[in-house]
Amino acid sequence: MELNAEVKESDSKVARIQGGLSMRLNAKKSEKIAFALLGLSALTVMGFVLVILGYIIYNGYSAINIEFLTEMPRLMMTQGGIYPAIVGTIYLIIGSMSVALPVGVMAAIYLNEYAGETRTTWLIEMAINNLAGTPSVIFGLFGMALFVKYFGFGPSILSSSLTLSLLIIPVIIRSTEEALIAVPNEYRESSLALGVSKWQTIRHAVLPAAIPGIITGSILSIGRVAGETAPILFTGVAYFLPRLPDSIYSQFMALPYHLFVLATAGTNIAKTRSIQYGTALVLLIIVLSLNLIAVLIRRHYRNKLKI
Amino acid sequence: MTEGIQNVSQPQIKIENLNLWYGEKQALKNVSMQIPRNSITALIGPSGCGKSTFIRCLNRMNDLINNCRIEGKVTIEGKDIYGPDVDAVELRKNVGMVFQKPNPFPMSIYDNVAYGPRIHGANKKDLDGIVEQALRSAAIWDEVLDRLKSPALSLSGGQQQRLCIARTLAVKPKTILFDEPTSALDPISTLRIEDLTMELKKDYTIVIVTHNMQQAARISDYTGFFLMGELIEFGQTRQIFQNPREKSTEDYITGRFG
Repeated sequence: MELNAEVKESDSKVARIQGGLSMRLNAKKSEKIAFALLGLSALTVMGFVLVILGYIIYNGYSAINIEFLTEMPRLMMTQGGIYPAIVGTIYLIIGSMSVALPVGVMAAIYLNEYAGETRTTWLIEMAINNLAGTPSVIFGLFGMALFVKYFGFGPSILSSSLTLSLLIIPVIIRSTEEALIAVPNEYRESSLALGVSKWQTIRHAVLPAAIPGIITGSILSIGRVAGETAPILFTGVAYFLPRLPDSIYSQFMALPYHLFVLATAGTNIAKTRSIQYGTALVLLIIVLSLNLIAVLIRRHYRNKLKI
Repeated sequence: MTEGIQNVSQPQIKIENLNLWYGEKQALKNVSMQIPRNSITALIGPSGCGKSTFIRCLNRMNDLINNCRIEGKVTIEGKDIYGPDVDAVELRKNVGMVFQKPNPFPMSIYDNVAYGPRIHGANKKDLDGIVEQALRSAAIWDEVLDRLKSPALSLSGGQQQRLCIARTLAVKPKTILFDEPTSALDPISTLRIEDLTMELKKDYTIVIVTHNMQQAARISDYTGFFLMGELIEFGQTRQIFQNPREKSTEDYITGRFG
């Protein structure tokens, strides 16, 4: 709505100028208000993150020392360290991602590049959306029925990793699909025009451009895998296992479950308070470090793709 | 429009009664044409007349569009490219295409040019030579020889388009299709690419779609005029522009519409 400077000999000109002015003032004011509100929301979210982080660091840093991080637990968790829980969580991350990443990325490639707009495709997409919304405790029960009992893997790293990978596959599919859709069609066209087949085009021109988006999906998934308790509850996690798992068929400790038991059902809740916060802090540090690594990798690829 | 066809000796590409439908809508009506080898054939006409659709039939890029139906015959070097035993992927190694908007891959200059040969199985030690030759043929070697590993997207628009030409040349096609290659470029880059095209015709058969009539008059040997999906007239460029046979051709060329 711009001030029209045409000269028109009529009373309405004054009214129009006044109307125009007030619209300009309103636009400016609402712009400022919008900016303030949005900025405030962002700061509030950041504030919450900092408060949680600060609280955990404050209460937990006293428990962190070399012994805590590298030793087995002793005396019903009042002494010793959480080393096996750290190792168990890392095994879970590696195990679930090594299944979920390839399966998820390939499924996304199929859905986005090959599948037509048929009823079957629609059903698959619907199934993935439903999987994404399923409560994690149901995954735990399903994993117990399928992996622990039916396949006979028993409570183990294997069963838990597979259960967790089911949890994160929808996340990976969704973010990979978004990344593939964002790759401009011009790249596909120019590649095909060079006599390159469709799959080769995907492998050499489309996928590399989609990597930053795929990494974003992986970052989200790592956080979930490291922190979920219900899926591993029925499929292999243990509370007190003062030795490292010796195979993928062994049971294991894990940080989130460990924290849960310490805080609610441990033998000496008050005495282990600082250990609880320490465990939470370690979990946070692991997830944040992995996220940081992934962000750096993503930044490297983003720079390669831009000028 | 059979009056528009001149018989050309040793045609590279022969199109006979080509019809194309997008769903129910017919976009090409009974187009017949002979495209001579080692020359530049320009296709002109107002927006939406079907010239881009037509050129995309020559390397079967229209296969990628759903609901696209084709009837008729397109023969290249005597072989019907829509025949049952023809692999469209192989065809496109022989018939390259340069698009309207320069679209190098988000990779280095070197990797862009090497993209095709690498995938088609070229030897690693041959790649350097292939890349250099292609960049030379595209008249851009001198400008990039010291920064082959820098990103292709850091080049200017005109340079990017010449890079895309180099990328196409690296695959060693016999025919190159240009779909309005300079409409997104400034006049100086346009002139450079026009000069380049005239150099290339010594070794390649070139078909260029352009909405710029002066460009067609400047560089082409033969010209075809499209209107509403039909080929109205086809002949030597000089004849088309100085002595058009059809009234609609004359009207378009003199700017009465378009």
